[in-house]
Amino acid sequence: MGDLGAEGAGERFDPITLEIFWSRLISIADESAAALLRTSFSTIVRESNDFGTVLMDANGDSLSENTGGIPSFAGILPITLKHFLAKFSRETWKPGDCVITNDPWLATGHLPDITMVMPVFLNGQLVGFSGSIAHSPDIGGSLWSADCRELFEEGLCIPPLKFLKEGELNKDVEEMIVCNVRLPEQVLGDLNAQVTANQVCGRRLIEFLEDSGLDDLSLLSKSLLSRAETAMRNAIEEVPDGIYHSTLDADGFDEDETHIECAVTVEGSNITIDYEGTSKQINRGLNTVMNYTHAYSAYPIKCALDPLTPRNEGSYRPIQVIAPEGSILNPTRPAPCNARQLTGHMLAGVIYAALAQAVPSKIIADSGSAPSMRAIFSGLNPKGNRFTQILFASGGMGARPTKDGISTIAFPTNAGAGSIEAFESVAPLIVWQKEFRADSGGAGMYRGGLGQVCEIESRALEPLQLSLLSDRWRYPATGVLGGLEGAKSHISFSDGTVPHQKSRTVIEPGIKLKMVYAGGGGYGDPAQRERGRVCEDVKNGYITAAAARRLYGQGG
Amino acid sequence: MKKRIRIGVDVGGTFTDFVLVDEERDQIFTGKQLTTPSDPSAAILDGVSRLLSDAGVSPAVIDNIVHGTTLITNTIIERTGAKVGLVSTLGHRDTLEMAKEIRYDLYDLFIESPPSLVPRFLRESVAERISPDGEILLEFDEEGFRNSLKKLVQKENIEALAICLMHSYRNPVHEQLAKKIVGELYRDLPVTLSSDVAPEIREFERTSTACANAYVQPLMQSYLKRLDEKLKALGHDGTLYVMLSGGGITTVRDAEAYPIRLIESGPAAGAMAASYYSTLTNTKNLISYDMGGTTAKMCLIDNNRPDRKYDFEAGRVRRFAKGSGLPLKVSVVDMIEIGAGGGSLASVDQMGLLKVGPRSAGSQPGPVCYGLGGQDPTVTDADLYLGYLNPDYFLGGQMTLNLEKVEKSIEDKLAKPLGLTVLEAAVGMHNVVNENMAAATRMHLAEKGRDPRKYDMIAFGGAGPVHACHMARLLKLDNVIVPLGAGVTSALGFLVAAPAVDYVRSYVARLEQINWEYLNQLFYDMEDEARSLLIEAGADDEDITFERKADMRHVGQGFEISVPVPDGKLSGSHVDELRINFFDSYRTLFERTVTDIAIETMSWRLAATAPIPNITLNFKGQKGPVDKKIKGQRSVFFSETGFAPCDVYDRYAFSEGDTIEGPAIIEERESTTVMPPGSRAKIDKNLNLRIELDA
Repeated sequence: MGDLGAEGAGERFDPITLEIFWSRLISIADESAAALLRTSFSTIVRESNDFGTVLMDANGDSLSENTGGIPSFAGILPITLKHFLAKFSRETWKPGDCVITNDPWLATGHLPDITMVMPVFLNGQLVGFSGSIAHSPDIGGSLWSADCRELFEEGLCIPPLKFLKEGELNKDVEEMIVCNVRLPEQVLGDLNAQVTANQVCGRRLIEFLEDSGLDDLSLLSKSLLSRAETAMRNAIEEVPDGIYHSTLDADGFDEDETHIECAVTVEGSNITIDYEGTSKQINRGLNTVMNYTHAYSAYPIKCALDPLTPRNEGSYRPIQVIAPEGSILNPTRPAPCNARQLTGHMLAGVIYAALAQAVPSKIIADSGSAPSMRAIFSGLNPKGNRFTQILFASGGMGARPTKDGISTIAFPTNAGAGSIEAFESVAPLIVWQKEFRADSGGAGMYRGGLGQVCEIESRALEPLQLSLLSDRWRYPATGVLGGLEGAKSHISFSDGTVPHQKSRTVIEPGIKLKMVYAGGGGYGDPAQRERGRVCEDVKNGYITAAAARRLYGQGG
Repeated sequence: MKKRIRIGVDVGGTFTDFVLVDEERDQIFTGKQLTTPSDPSAAILDGVSRLLSDAGVSPAVIDNIVHGTTLITNTIIERTGAKVGLVSTLGHRDTLEMAKEIRYDLYDLFIESPPSLVPRFLRESVAERISPDGEILLEFDEEGFRNSLKKLVQKENIEALAICLMHSYRNPVHEQLAKKIVGELYRDLPVTLSSDVAPEIREFERTSTACANAYVQPLMQSYLKRLDEKLKALGHDGTLYVMLSGGGITTVRDAEAYPIRLIESGPAAGAMAASYYSTLTNTKNLISYDMGGTTAKMCLIDNNRPDRKYDFEAGRVRRFAKGSGLPLKVSVVDMIEIGAGGGSLASVDQMGLLKVGPRSAGSQPGPVCYGLGGQDPTVTDADLYLGYLNPDYFLGGQMTLNLEKVEKSIEDKLAKPLGLTVLEAAVGMHNVVNENMAAATRMHLAEKGRDPRKYDMIAFGGAGPVHACHMARLLKLDNVIVPLGAGVTSALGFLVAAPAVDYVRSYVARLEQINWEYLNQLFYDMEDEARSLLIEAGADDEDITFERKADMRHVGQGFEISVPVPDGKLSGSHVDELRINFFDSYRTLFERTVTDIAIETMSWRLAATAPIPNITLNFKGQKGPVDKKIKGQRSVFFSETGFAPCDVYDRYAFSEGDTIEGPAIIEERESTTVMPPGSRAKIDKNLNLRIELDA
């Protein structure tokens, strides 16, 4: 700890100035995020936090991210910006320019996510960039689904283009987008929300530079990055050196099950995650581009080892992620990748299973809520208004070294659940049940979080479109260190039919759809669970008396 | 005998504060008692008696007593409320516990969810269903409900019941039927219906509010009853009012029915005081800044009124982590609270940087300088080291502060690990806490689409005036007002509040598809209810003013904005006006509008207010016997000058028209005002300090 201050050549700031400046930069990213969130039309941005705002220096390195931002975005934006700089060289950027892309390989791994970056100038000097990423209300193509066979079916791909040129809208780009999406006003509304967010970020950055008397961010950036990097390195050093292996299986698509091999190598202050041996890419939308694989590998490391430090580029430097080219974790173009979260969300579990061998007190068991299970309904309501509604609900989080897993909580993503009353107010759907699922949490010294059961009836006059995204029908969330697995998930219709787990189908009027969400894995030997906790669980119906006898050897 | 005395009583966690105004003699008296947690009415009785004897008046001349309390907040934090049963719609038994299914901290694997006020074994469900349009899809199962009820009462011995059924905000008929059945079977069981306490869409928030109300109700009912009786026994035959979280006052009867609406009554009083000063000083837009021992609270006063909002979070697992508490649909003053107070602790984090707050040394052990065992340096310690506080005149000299201990603690805990001098570390603490408060204020202004340059600041609370000028400069404000008696400013709010209530009904509809007859009925019902309550609270019918608002949004958006709604009978001809109002509000907040997307309404609100009591608070009575303005000199640190000799003034010696040039220190009993070099202050006719920062 003593030599923290001396780290790096650029240390010119005392620890107080640095604290004040850093907090200010984070609040700039937060203010930008607030501007985006509050005017967004995208349900996914709102309910599942699927957006991020990042402040970057003139090199394109991230300085600060919005506090609630999801990790897949914040770590990726600087990479995307470097692609932009390769296409539009630094000298050519003008104040008011705004570059846009949704190319999965350059950006965040699927077409609905739109990245926009604007330069920030002070006294004619380029001093930094403001960037934002948000899940668009629509991007044409196949809606949100997992079954496309090529990227081209999944929607419009926008290469890095100038959306604004010196503040003027590039009409050609706008028209091109409008012509390709189902909800043009909402899509454009959200693009404008992103521009506003970027402008807020830029304005606040200039105010900061004026207040602080700095001419540019380069020295400050060096200090902040090196502080964050040092904190992460110190944390990694506490993990015993070694190579830790684990594997994970997931349903995948039909006969193409997903198998993930993971080797975590800890050496001093470096950590390498290598997915050599993982399944090959498939011709369905479960492929996870390298940017996304990297982000969803770095995030669980940060949570387990260094949860408290603010994040920037430096935090991720000690973490290396390798996946074989052509694998499902590093696919080549034009692999479909729309539902890449169905694979990417699994990485936290497999990484923690490896780290359980090294730092068992810092990791959690596999989560039933990874990957997220979604049902997307669309069509007309009886008033004739068109709607698209996503049922947001989660399975159980994995059990923790000192606590039960949280029930119905997403991990590693942080998608919340909206109000059922609000859901029913805009769609001709009635949710007859949304309740905990008893006995779904994996048994253990600490129990996995419970999943839930949702039952939804269509009251529409016509069949509604339904898209299903799910996994864990065959492979449940596993337990760690003797903990048992959580319950598997399932989806069925009230007429007794079972839809494909990753499909686009319809729901007929009067039919009920039953979604059964997976539970989290348990932590530690169930025999070691305190008797009082088992009694409480039975009393509250989190587990049945029969399960208490069977799994914990305890009478109700 | 003319009733001419008004008394405000604020029951806090540690102290109960009193303020008495005698309108005839233009005098204000203040007092303080230790709170008596087992029966707070004991301290109130003592305090009121003492205050009356100080003022030399009898209880018979008390016109009214206005009461605020932290009892409810504390009951929820400490989980000492009633054993509550909850009945939900079949299939939705776990709404309360599932909450929003979100992690309030993205990186902490060990977060705790706030424990539900009603555990699962006390939650029952009943077969019934109402659609979003209020249509009955499934009849209420009376037999099933009776069985659930029997189980909760006879087997589990619940002390209160909450009922929250789906879409009851749209059609409360099933909840009302349930209540009727409870009345038949268990007449004495207190029941809270969600459609009464929070008739708003979104079942989790409504359930949470209903449960919280039921949870605190038995306690509050018996407490208010006891208090009323004791005050009557004392000889008080005026009115006892209770302060609501939104800044209005209401009757005891209303407070007993909806005690949850009192949850923020203390902070609301502070905001009401700030708005009173906003009128008094003819300053329309103020940032009210109240810094005490543990937190700083900021609130915007626009056009002499505090901003309000309609949700609040109570009993957070982590006090300053949004989302870690229980959401309540209640009308509250829109205030931000951050962990920055005199007791906030400074430390070195894993990055080797200086952090201040949100952890606090509280009153036990308190700052190092109190000498009560505190080891870690706090903001108050830094303020003492920098010369802002007088070691011999803390709380008017009741306490002597220990500078030596402070120096050693800053040296060991901060300066050495950071490689700084003690002075650099102390200045750093002061700067970091000010930056934290400024950043939170900036964010609050930005979220509300307000321009900081239109605001002045009013500072109060023990530590507020110490930090106000520095913080105002960070926010680029020009003027700061420091009222006399900044330590009791907050309690004045009780005396200047008027009977006022807020009502809400959710009705979701696109602007073009509104059923106007239904909407008019909603407003008439709310107006009737409000009118009868305010008349009961002593208002005259013709003096009551109504203000209507709607929560509206574009179809597809998730956040509603508050939009003014015209008075009177509404019809299709008002669609254009509502749309224009929506765009105006939208533009103010977001600096742009989107015109092609349909607009929908979610909730309709009515605010009913009686006129603010016409009180002149004459502060001249507070002027002390002292005439010597300059008490002395001491060495004080400012970034412009370093440590330099600075004049120390006695606040009680000032009269209207006096001017003070910064740098200056102005001391009064409960607070100290720090004026930096380059600033100038003038004393106005109410003895407020009016500081111009760059004179």
